[in-house]
Amino acid sequence: MAFALEFFLRRISQGVLIVLAVAFVIFTLLRIAPGDPIRIILGPMATPSAMEETAERLGLRDPIPMQFLRYLGDIAKGDFGNSFIRGKQGGTTGGSQDAAGSPPVERAPVIELIAKALPYTLLLAACGFLLACLVSIPLGIMAGVKNSGWPQKVALYLSSLLVSLPNVWVGIVLIYLLSARTGWLPAIGYQHIGYVIIPAIVVAVELAPVMIRSISVAVATNVQDPFYEIGQVRGLSARTMLFRHVLRNAAVPLLNSFGAQMIGMLLGGLFVVEYIFSFPGIGLLTINAVFQRDFPVIQTVAIFASTVLVFINIAVDFASTTIDRRLKF
Amino acid sequence: MAAELLLKVENLSISLGSGEAARTLISNVAFEVRPKSVLGIIGESGSGKTLLSRALVNWVRPPLRVTSGRVIYQGRDLLELPEADMARLRGREIAYIGANPTTALDPTMPVGHQIEEKLRTIEPDLPRREARQRVIDLLDAVRIPSARSRFDEYPFQFSGGMMQRAMIVDALISKPKLLVADNITQPLDVTVAAQILRLLRDLQRDFGTSIVFVSSSFGTIVEVADEVVVLDKGTIVEAQDTGSIQKNPVHPYTKELLAKVPRLWHDVGSVPETNAEPVVLSVRDVAKTYEVKDRASLFRKNRVQAVRGVSFDVRRGESLGLIGESGCGKSTLSRLLSSLESPDRGAIEVNGVDVATLRGDALLSMRRRFQLLLQDPYNSIPSHVSIGATIAEPLRIHRLATGQQLRERVCEVMREVGLPPDLYDALPVGLSAGQRQRVNIARAMVLEPSVLILDETLSALDQVEQAKLLDLFDSLQRKHGITYLYISHDLAMVRRACARIAVMYLGKIVEIGDNETIFDAPAHPYTRTLLSSVSTVEAKPFLPRDYLLEGEPPDPIHIPGGCSFRSRCPFVIDTCRTVEPTLSIKAGGTATACHLDVDRLPAPSILAKARIGAAPKRMDSL
Ligand code: SF4
Repeated sequence: MAFALEFFLRRISQGVLIVLAVAFVIFTLLRIAPGDPIRIILGPMATPSAMEETAERLGLRDPIPMQFLRYLGDIAKGDFGNSFIRGKQGGTTGGSQDAAGSPPVERAPVIELIAKALPYTLLLAACGFLLACLVSIPLGIMAGVKNSGWPQKVALYLSSLLVSLPNVWVGIVLIYLLSARTGWLPAIGYQHIGYVIIPAIVVAVELAPVMIRSISVAVATNVQDPFYEIGQVRGLSARTMLFRHVLRNAAVPLLNSFGAQMIGMLLGGLFVVEYIFSFPGIGLLTINAVFQRDFPVIQTVAIFASTVLVFINIAVDFASTTIDRRLKF
Repeated sequence: MAAELLLKVENLSISLGSGEAARTLISNVAFEVRPKSVLGIIGESGSGKTLLSRALVNWVRPPLRVTSGRVIYQGRDLLELPEADMARLRGREIAYIGANPTTALDPTMPVGHQIEEKLRTIEPDLPRREARQRVIDLLDAVRIPSARSRFDEYPFQFSGGMMQRAMIVDALISKPKLLVADNITQPLDVTVAAQILRLLRDLQRDFGTSIVFVSSSFGTIVEVADEVVVLDKGTIVEAQDTGSIQKNPVHPYTKELLAKVPRLWHDVGSVPETNAEPVVLSVRDVAKTYEVKDRASLFRKNRVQAVRGVSFDVRRGESLGLIGESGCGKSTLSRLLSSLESPDRGAIEVNGVDVATLRGDALLSMRRRFQLLLQDPYNSIPSHVSIGATIAEPLRIHRLATGQQLRERVCEVMREVGLPPDLYDALPVGLSAGQRQRVNIARAMVLEPSVLILDETLSALDQVEQAKLLDLFDSLQRKHGITYLYISHDLAMVRRACARIAVMYLGKIVEIGDNETIFDAPAHPYTRTLLSSVSTVEAKPFLPRDYLLEGEPPDPIHIPGGCSFRSRCPFVIDTCRTVEPTLSIKAGGTATACHLDVDRLPAPSILAKARIGAAPKRMDSL
């Protein structure tokens, strides 16, 4: 127990520092990037004096570290700022349409935008990941246990095939085949759970080859460990050895590649897929925010993403040390 | 008669590969095992003994193939048995223990849980609690200290000896009728190996298990087996009961094997003597402590006291042996001496100069005079570099020679260590372990060192190759006046090679003296214990029953106060608990750290003593 406590104390404090550093970098980059956010908020017709006044009011003329500190203070109060663009009622309220209209305070709080988009993203990620697991776990294990035979060939060919398909292309082909041509499944936007199927397949296609590879390699390594054969000589069945011992040992490298590689792929994949399918999750929100220079949204998503990454890695490391007590983090 | 046999091997042949290229590894082997008996199979490395022992549990996997023969267990041929029937015997009636216990279990699960898992596979109806109790009881029976808490510990927390005990528990938990033990004492310290053998004999008596005990050490075999078969290159050359094979070996190979068993007390010839040359290496009160994280408490570190104040001198052209069980600090000491690490306190002086004060060129030239040779002859030689270039590398690094001069120097050293100079441009592929070790020696010798540290350097080699290299070291020593520091657990080798010997226990020297005193009249109970646990074919002056050593050294984190050996010393007295004995010089320059007088220890066994004495009339009286 003491170990767990110390582990979390140490790792969470490190994690918080990392997230803070990431937040500061993003914050600074967005502020020194070309393009005046005031112009975006107020639109091209705004007078210089009105712009100056708004900038002062929003604190955009203060030194960056000061702005950052103020931003952190706001975050501590649960206030992640407001979108520059999006109105409270939803929809884009770019300055150009109603230059005189809605003042910035009327814009939607970023946190609400995220709260609305997050469930969709989680749903898509979960479905995609599950789908990838359904294919790659059995295939990876079979390919790993036997060093020859059809499972290994299937695993090899399937993963080389999948890895060479760009997800944009897979997305378009699937939309064409399953939706446009046959009308079996809906594809664009989101109205009910059916809308998640095609995007989830695309996410899975991206994840599966990596997962098949890591699983079969991890299983193969452990099957070669003496304890696997000796276990059978000791009187345990090959099945028990595989499911109770080999998989347990294989989980450690798998967790690691999940934390280091797959989670990044998953996040990246989600962004692209949501954009292709106009799927109303965090990815779409962010990409639109980038196009519209909606800085508060971009920076909040970035901070959230880095927080998620950091904490997933803490969880992964903790799980690894719990499974294999020889590891030290 | 046949019905009485437990196991009968007939005409067994095994080969590697198939068709034209097949190589026969075991040919026409036949032997029998009676119930409740111990059959010893002795063979050198490469004799096929591991393969044979695996065939007994039907564990021969491609590309290995059984080409002929039967392994009949209670009337059924195991090799013909359907996999399902075999699975019903394996681990239940027939158990197997291998040479390497540390890789036998899943490293991520507690040892006890895995034994319990096996027990519950065999007896699915056994309630968990009862199964656990049975495992703990048996762990207790093989004398694993605090078995109840050990039950939940992981394989990496077990020492090799503990792990081998656990594997014995694992094998015996199903009360098997036949146990195949393949070289199980090989990786263990002598003290632990002796305990394991004793344990196996007790258990064999209690459980009535028959054992097939496979080993490469004659000394070990004769201690356990009732009958011995001798395996040479896959064929059995001789089979006799244990008593007669020692007295009347028939086959020349058996005789050769017996003659090769190293002797410690009989026919040892002349042992190296101390000299009066100047002191080359002087170690003064050196200590080293490591810090490791304590998982059970917050932010706390454990202090592992690996070396706790060691002092000794070595003279020019002399050999000093450092012996002790694993974990006694000898490896740490070797790292300190070869400046791979620096001591926390104390000084290492070479020719009167403290190594810690050296910088720059002076340090470099000191390093040159101080070479370390390690055990592993394989990983230390780059495989894509020619042998000559490998040996020449140190000369290049130290910029001592170039061009033709360099080549000549290397060839000269190669000749000296017994490598033909035409190998200069050859790659090291295909070199034997002994030749590789010679390359290593040559690489150290080109620098004309004055001190060579041999850290288990010869342990991986077989007896013959080892003897040749010892001769080589001898002649190099006579020619160049080199000082050797042998760090080893091999007592027979130390007996043959070292003029003086230091015995280490828990990071300290407990006794140091000349070869003869240490082997024939040691005054420290621990030294005697070490000597009593050696497996040999000769009568020993110190009998295991007098120096019965249980368990293993305490871990170097919690070293007991008073004498550090007191937790295992059979002669402990009151003073030992409170006062730590210091090394005090005894007659003949031997120093011993023990409160007890030599006279209070059991007298050396007469039988052995009589033979040690060179006096011929005593020999006659035997
Ligand atoms: S000092 Fe005491 S405990 Fe230590 S070795 Fe001597 S008799 Fe044994």
